Amino acid sequence: MHPSDDLVHVDAVTRKFPLDHSAVTALDHTSLRVAAGEFLAIAGPSGSGKSTLLNLIGCIDKPTSGRIFIDGVDTSQLSPARTTALRRERIGFVFQTFNLIPVFTAAENVEFPLLIQGVNASDRRTRVTEALESVGLAGRAHHRPDLLSGGERQRVAVARAIVGRPALVLADEPTANLDTRNATQLIELMRDLNCRLGLTFIFSTHDQRLLEHTPRIVRLTDGQVESDSHSQGESHGQVLAACVS
Amino acid sequence: MGKFLLLAFRNVFRNRRRTVMTLMMVGGGVAGLLLVGGFFAFMFRGLRESTIRNGLGHIQIFTAEHFQRDEVHVLDTGISDWRHVAASVRSGDHVRGVAPRIDFYGMLSNGVKSSVFMGSAVEPDSERAMGFSPRIASGRDLGSNSNGEVEALIGTGVAKSMSVKVGDGLTILAVTADGALNGIDVQIVGIVNTGFKDLDDRYLRITLPSAQRLLQTDRVTNLVVGLDDTENTDSVAAILIPELRGQSQPMVIRKWIDLAAYYQQVRTLFSGIFLFLGIIVFFMVLMASVNTLLMAMFERTREIGTMLAMGTPRMWIVALFMVEATLTGLFGAAVGVLGGNLLGVALNISGLHLPPPPGSDVPMAFKVLHVPGLMIGASLLVVISLALASILPAIRASRLQIAEALAHV
Repeated sequence: MHPSDDLVHVDAVTRKFPLDHSAVTALDHTSLRVAAGEFLAIAGPSGSGKSTLLNLIGCIDKPTSGRIFIDGVDTSQLSPARTTALRRERIGFVFQTFNLIPVFTAAENVEFPLLIQGVNASDRRTRVTEALESVGLAGRAHHRPDLLSGGERQRVAVARAIVGRPALVLADEPTANLDTRNATQLIELMRDLNCRLGLTFIFSTHDQRLLEHTPRIVRLTDGQVESDSHSQGESHGQVLAACVS
Repeated sequence: MGKFLLLAFRNVFRNRRRTVMTLMMVGGGVAGLLLVGGFFAFMFRGLRESTIRNGLGHIQIFTAEHFQRDEVHVLDTGISDWRHVAASVRSGDHVRGVAPRIDFYGMLSNGVKSSVFMGSAVEPDSERAMGFSPRIASGRDLGSNSNGEVEALIGTGVAKSMSVKVGDGLTILAVTADGALNGIDVQIVGIVNTGFKDLDDRYLRITLPSAQRLLQTDRVTNLVVGLDDTENTDSVAAILIPELRGQSQPMVIRKWIDLAAYYQQVRTLFSGIFLFLGIIVFFMVLMASVNTLLMAMFERTREIGTMLAMGTPRMWIVALFMVEATLTGLFGAAVGVLGGNLLGVALNISGLHLPPPPGSDVPMAFKVLHVPGLMIGASLLVVISLALASILPAIRASRLQIAEALAHV
């Protein structure tokens, strides 16, 4: 398959971090292909390289070797300004600790990516309302993060990630700070957005319970892909068909 | 842009305790500058007015020759048609009065001791009409009608060195306009303390007719113009210059500021002191603010990482920190201007006095003027200090490695 056929193509990527006089290898010649519209979980124990892989796909870190293509674009060839623009226009992020701007309300947090994209005020209002409605938080739009529960904050973070209509949403351990009920609801929400809007989701988790209804699971161990499984032999096309039905 | 400013505004107040401390520090600097600057302004104004009222006047009129050459004979560069010139000037707007003066020098003697003097001859009524009166230590000012006696005021130093007092007589000798030596007897009616020892040691003042008789001339050295308000000096001077062109002798004018060398020296000295204080405040605010802003940057590392991850241009981060610092500076300046003015009002009401300055036995009032230019200048100083202080933290924030910033605890 040619790299441009995938939304994400990780090609033999290695990432080493210097430690004293040696180096720790977080990812070791890892390769991965993700098609547009997929809902993919990266699983593995702590230290397996999940976050490192997401950071590299999200262009907020650079591989020691190997290449990463987003929509067929070799990200290693991009200037810092183009990399920033790629993140701004094509990628949404959801973080483990929500990372909302504490002095902004929920609506203002969701609005921020549109602000930096230069979207006009009228369109921003419409899209923020839509995004908050899609995560079921329209009624909490004017609350600041400290007045929201953990589950609500993470839903605001999801709304912020999708409001810019990115091609790809990356979520690094999005349920780690949530209880089981909120964690399940969040995964269901992301799955719903994946089905309804066709957004590609890649999230990392080490919570086995959340993987039960995930169509594709990539397991990492010691920086290498241990397995790449589609649940019950479902192909990506079958998953999409199930969503549509 | 509005949201960006809103974010900066809210960030300023997200850590209220620290913001209050910063505002107090910045505000304290501004208030300090306003109080010191306001006191200096009060002092300058007092010195200016006392310099003018002690006889310098607002404007002085001379013949052009007076500044072009030294006099060969007494008053040969003086104003001959001075009554006409004075009448013409007196009719102008804002002019309270015009007083003729003769500056002369010579010897005085009490029969036992002799001393040199620097004399001035005046029309007492004209001087008083403009509010110009010497500081009498004992006795009284010159009278306009002297019943044949030639009245004189002498300095405290002259009185002491000549061992004379009010009521005693002296003989003064001077060279006349023709080059001859002439003398008159005078009676001391008052002793003057100018506040300047060197001047008090040579001070002599007599009436204009007495001096003209002594010097055997009808000329005067200059005309002193008193105005209703010092602020009108420039406008009146601008009107006088063309008016004086039609006189029989070419005339020139000098404004008080051109003649007040002591005032200018004092002002230069205290302006230097104030500049030094301003520099201290500038660096104090700069250093403290760098520390505060670096702390703020450190606390918000993960948030900055998040913003960068979302694709926020790095220049936005720089701008955000600089706008926050500038806003802090503006708020601090507002606190300082408010606090400084309130403290100034309180000090003015308190009636505080400072010990007498050198050469004076009068306690000096401690008052603070509210100077708009000073408020603007001090505010700009701290706003610029804070904006500069934010450059380093802003650049460091914008250069954060995103992955590391997101992992920051």
